Amino acid sequence: MAGATLGRRPLTLMEALRQTRAEAATYRGIWSWVATVDHKRIGVMYGITAFIFFLAGGIEALVIRLQLATPNGAVVDPDQYNRIFTMHGTTMVFLVVMPLSAAFFNLLIPLMIGARDVAFPRLNAFSYWVFLAGGLFMNISFFTGGNIFQGELGAPDAGWFGYAPLTLNEFSPGNGINYWAFGLQILGVASMASGFNFIVTILNMRAPGMTLFRMPLFVWMTLVTSFLIVFAMPVIAIALFQLLFDRLFGGNFFNAEAGGTPLLWQHMFWLFGHPEVYILILPAMGIVSEVLPTFSRKPLFGYPFVVFSGVAIGFMSWGVWAHHMYTTGLGSVANAAFGVSTILIAVPTGVKIFNWLGTMWGGSIRLNTPMLFAVGFIAMFTIGGLTGVTHSAVPSDYQQQDTYYVVAHFHQVLVGGAIFGLFAGAYYWFPKFTGKLLKEGWGQLHFWLMFIGFNVTFQPMMILGLMGMPRRVSSYPDGYGFGLWNMMATVGAFMIAASILVFIYNVIVSLRSKEQAGADPWDGRTLEWSIPSPPPAYNFAEIPTVHALDDFWHQKYVEDAAERPVPVVAGGAHEAEAAEHEAGDHGSIHMPSPSYWPLIAALGFPLIAFGFIYDYALIAVGAAFLLVGLYGWALEPATE
Amino acid sequence: MLVKLVTSRLRATRPRRLAWLALAASLGLLAGGCESFDSPQNTFSTSGDVAEDQRYLFFFVMWPALVVMVLVGAAMLYILFRFRRRSEQEPAPKQVHGNTKLELAWTIAPAFLLIAIAVPTLDGIIDLGRAPHDDALRVNVIGQQWLWSFEYPELVDASGQPLRIDGRPGETTELHIPIDREIGVTMESNDVIHSFWVPKLAGKEDVVPGHINEMWFNATEPGTFAGQCVEFCGLDHAIMTLRVVAETPEEFDAWVDEQLAAAAAEAPVTGTR
Amino acid sequence: MEHAPAQAGHLETSTGLDNRKLLMWLFLASECLFFGSLIGAYLLYRGRNLSPPCPQDTVLNGVACPGVYDIPFTSISSFVLLMSSLTMVLALAAIQRNDQRGLRVWLLATALLGITFLAGQAFEFTEFHNEGLSISSSLFGTTFFVLTGFHGAHVSVGVLILLSLFVMAWRGRLNQEQSLNVELIGLYWHFVDVVWIVIFTLVYLLQPT
Repeated sequence: MAGATLGRRPLTLMEALRQTRAEAATYRGIWSWVATVDHKRIGVMYGITAFIFFLAGGIEALVIRLQLATPNGAVVDPDQYNRIFTMHGTTMVFLVVMPLSAAFFNLLIPLMIGARDVAFPRLNAFSYWVFLAGGLFMNISFFTGGNIFQGELGAPDAGWFGYAPLTLNEFSPGNGINYWAFGLQILGVASMASGFNFIVTILNMRAPGMTLFRMPLFVWMTLVTSFLIVFAMPVIAIALFQLLFDRLFGGNFFNAEAGGTPLLWQHMFWLFGHPEVYILILPAMGIVSEVLPTFSRKPLFGYPFVVFSGVAIGFMSWGVWAHHMYTTGLGSVANAAFGVSTILIAVPTGVKIFNWLGTMWGGSIRLNTPMLFAVGFIAMFTIGGLTGVTHSAVPSDYQQQDTYYVVAHFHQVLVGGAIFGLFAGAYYWFPKFTGKLLKEGWGQLHFWLMFIGFNVTFQPMMILGLMGMPRRVSSYPDGYGFGLWNMMATVGAFMIAASILVFIYNVIVSLRSKEQAGADPWDGRTLEWSIPSPPPAYNFAEIPTVHALDDFWHQKYVEDAAERPVPVVAGGAHEAEAAEHEAGDHGSIHMPSPSYWPLIAALGFPLIAFGFIYDYALIAVGAAFLLVGLYGWALEPATE
Repeated sequence: MLVKLVTSRLRATRPRRLAWLALAASLGLLAGGCESFDSPQNTFSTSGDVAEDQRYLFFFVMWPALVVMVLVGAAMLYILFRFRRRSEQEPAPKQVHGNTKLELAWTIAPAFLLIAIAVPTLDGIIDLGRAPHDDALRVNVIGQQWLWSFEYPELVDASGQPLRIDGRPGETTELHIPIDREIGVTMESNDVIHSFWVPKLAGKEDVVPGHINEMWFNATEPGTFAGQCVEFCGLDHAIMTLRVVAETPEEFDAWVDEQLAAAAAEAPVTGTR
Repeated sequence: MEHAPAQAGHLETSTGLDNRKLLMWLFLASECLFFGSLIGAYLLYRGRNLSPPCPQDTVLNGVACPGVYDIPFTSISSFVLLMSSLTMVLALAAIQRNDQRGLRVWLLATALLGITFLAGQAFEFTEFHNEGLSISSSLFGTTFFVLTGFHGAHVSVGVLILLSLFVMAWRGRLNQEQSLNVELIGLYWHFVDVVWIVIFTLVYLLQPT
C-alpha cells in the first residue's frame, strides 16, 4: 500500500479512512475489482464465486453420501441431514449452475457479438454484488441455529422446493425458512438484472452485419435463457412473498384452515421451476453447440433447426409445470394434459441431439478435453432425457415420483448435462481469458475420473428408485436391498470429488505456466478468437463488420469447389472494410467508467432482509443504502 | 512420472473400448439389481393390479428408450472412431451446413414415437385415476407428522364407532385388507403434505391438508407389503412407515371382529380425534 | 438511468430502440407476470371461506356479512390515478417541445395526483382495518391487502421518481435531450395505472354472483 504510514506512528482511524478513500478513488489494485464494470472481470468474479459455492455444495453432497452409504446411517442426525440436503439443492441450483452460466454470459456475449461491453455495465456489476450478497446471506443461516460446533445448524430444512405448509411457522419455527425465502428473493433480483441486461445487449449491441441468424448459437441460447429468467423469476418472487407474508404477518395464502391451499405454492413454484430447469440447461447446450463445431472442424449441423428447437423449448417449458404434481390429486384431465405436453417437449430436445451428431458426422474430430466434456454431455443428457420420457408416462410416474429415480434423472441432466457442459466451456475458453491453455493430460484425467465417478454415483440411483427408496430420507433400514447401491453411489461421489481436485490443480499449474495460448489456439469459428488472449479492456480495436455466420472462420478460410475450407491469402476483402470503419471512428475508445454505486446499492438488500428477520430498524438502514446507491448511480456524471 | 504414464495410457486407449467396458459394467449392475427382486418395496415385484399396470407401462416406455439410448450411444462411438482426426495435416472436412429433409425427418419421427407412448399413458391415467367403485372397501388414511392412522368407516362396532387403527410414533402402522377386493382410499392430512405409498401394490398419492384425495387399489395375493411416506414432511419423514397386510376374506373378517371386540372392551376411551 | 458512453448524437443500436427504452419495456413485461401471479392468487381464492367482513354485502348461511367496499370512493380514487396518466403525457409533451415550465407543472401534478391516490388507499385500508379486515383475519384480507399493497408500493416508487425528476427540472438539470428519462417514467406510470384498472375491475367491480 502506497504511503502506508505517516512517519513512524500508526494511523488514526480518521486518517486510515481518508487514506482508504483516496486509494479507492484511484481504482487500482483490489479497488479496480470492487468498482469494475468490465464484463470480463465481472465474469471472472461470477466464475470464482460460483465455483467456491460449488465446493460448498459438493461437501454437502459428500456428507449426504456418507450418511446414506450404509443402512441406519448415523453420520448426522435427521435434523442436520434435512438442513444439509436443503442447502445442497438450493446451493447447486441458485449459487452454482445459474451463476456459472452467468459467468459465461458475461465473458462471452459481448465478444461473440462484437461489442465492447454489455448494454448496462453498472447493472451488470450490480447483478454480481447482489448475487454475492444473496449467497453469503443464505449460507450465514448455518450459523444461526445455536452452537455450530455442537452441530446445531440454523440452515433451512424444508428442501430446495420448500413445500407449504411445512414451511409455515407452525411446522418450521425459527429463522431457517426466513433465510431461505429472503435469500432467494435477493438472488432473484440478481438474476433478473442479469436477464434484462443480456436481452438488451443481444438485441441492441450486435456488430454491424450481425443479423439474429448470424449470431453464434451460444448467444441464441443466452437470449432464450434470459427471457425465461425475466418471466419466471417474478412468479417465484410472488410465491416467496406469499410465504413470507404467511410467516411474518399471519397471512393465509397456504393456510388450509383459513381456506388457503398448499397446492397454490406448488403451482407457483413449478410454474417458475420448470422454466428454471431449462434456464439451467440451455446455456450448457449453447456451449456444447460451440465446442462441437470447433473440434469437428465443421459448422453446426442445421443451425436454424437448433435455434428453433431452443426457442421452442423456451415456449413449451411454460406448459409442463404440473408434471411435478402428478400425484397431488389434480385429477385425470390435468394429468392427461400435462402428460401430453411433457411427452411433446422431448421432441425439440431430441432434435438438438441429432443435430449435434450430424455436426460430428463427416468431421475431423479431435478429442481434446473440451470435446470430451461436450461428447460426455450428449451421452449423459440423452440418458437423462430418456428417463424424463419415462416420467412423462404418467401412471408409471406414480411409482417413480419422489423416489431416487427422480434424483437420478435430474442429476443426470444437471451434472451429466449442465456441469459437463460448463466444464467443456471452462476448458474451451480458459485460454481466451487467461492467455494460457489448461494442461491436456490433467484435463483428460479430470474428465475420465468425473465421467466414471458420475456414472458410478447416479446410475445405481435409478435402481434404488425402482426398488422403492424414497427421496429426502435421512436414513433407510436394513433388509430393503438399498445398501449395496448406496455404497456404490458414495464411492462414485468421492471419485467426482477427486476429479474436482484434479481440475483445481490443473488450473493452478496452468496459470503458472509460461506458455502462451495465443489468440486462436483451437482454430475457432466465432469472433472471440479474433482478438488477443487475454482480451484488451476494449475488446475490439475496431468493431468488426460481420458478413456471415461463423464470421471469423470465413475471415480465415474460403470454401473450394468441394466445400472444403482453404486458408485465405493475407490481404483479403475484409481489410478494405476495416479501412472504411477506421475513418468513421473517433480515434479513442470510450469505455464505461468504474463505479462503486452498484455495490453500495447491492448491500441494501441483505440489510433489509436482516431487518425483517431481526430488527425493523435495519430495514431503514438497508433502504438507505439502496436509495443512496441508486441515486448515486443515476446521478453519476456521464463517462467521458 | 506416474501421471505421465497414466495420462499417456488414457490418450492411447480408444474411447470405444472404454465405452464397451462401461456398457458391460452397467448391464452387469442391472442384472445384479434384478436379483434383489424380493426387497420389500420393489416396484417390479408387484402384487396388485395398479402396481402391475404401472410396471407394464414402465417397461413399455423403458425398452424403446433403452433402444434409443443404445442407438445414440453406438452412433456416437462410431462417429468418434470413424471421423477422428488421423493427422494434423489432413484436409479440413466438407463444410456441410445441414440437410433440411433429414432434420425434418428426425423432428417428425420421434414425435410419432412419442405419441405412441401417449396412448397407454392416457389410458392408464383414466383407469387408475377413476373414483373407487361403489362396492369397494373404504379406508380413510390419515397422515400426520410422523405416523399413519387408518379408519374403516363402514366397519363399525356396537356403539357405531368405525374401526380405527391409530399409529404410534416410531412404529409401523398396519393396514389390513382382504385380497381380490377393491380398496377405496380417502386420504386426509392433519398437518403437512404427506404421501401414501405401498410400492408393491400401487403408485403413490399425496395426502394434502385441506384436500381429500382418493385412489383405488387392490392386492391380488396374500402377504405383507411395506410402505412409507414419500413426500418430505419434516424431521422424521424417513421413519413414517406403514405395512399393508393382505389376507383372505375369511382371515380379514376374523381380524375385523377381533379388533371391534377389543375396541368395544375399551369403550369409554374412544381414542379417536 | 444508465449513461451510455457519451458521444455526439445517440448510440446506434441494432434494433433502433434506445437501450433504456428496451429495458423498460422488458421490465414492464416481467411485471405483468408479477402482478398476474398476485391477481391470479386473488381470483383463485375469491369467495372462499368468507367470514366478516366481506368484500360487499352478502348473506352467509342466513347471516348478513357486511361488505367493506365503497365503490363510489374507490371510483373517485381510480379517476384520480387515471388523470395522473393524462398529466404524465402532458409532462412528456412539455419536455419534448422544451417547455420547462410546463414540464415542472405537469410533473408535479402527476406526483400530487399519485400522492392523492395513495392517500385514498391509506384511508380506505384504515377503514377496512377498523371494520376487522387485516392480512391475517381471513383469506380475503390476505389476498386483498397483499395485492393492493404491492400496487401501492409500485405507485410510491413512481411518485418518488417523479418528485426526483421534478427537483431536477426545478434546478434546470432536465433538458430536452434528456426527454427519454421522462418518457421512461411515463411508461412505468402508465403501466401502474393499467394494472390498477385491472385490479379495480376484477377485485372491486366484478363480483361472483
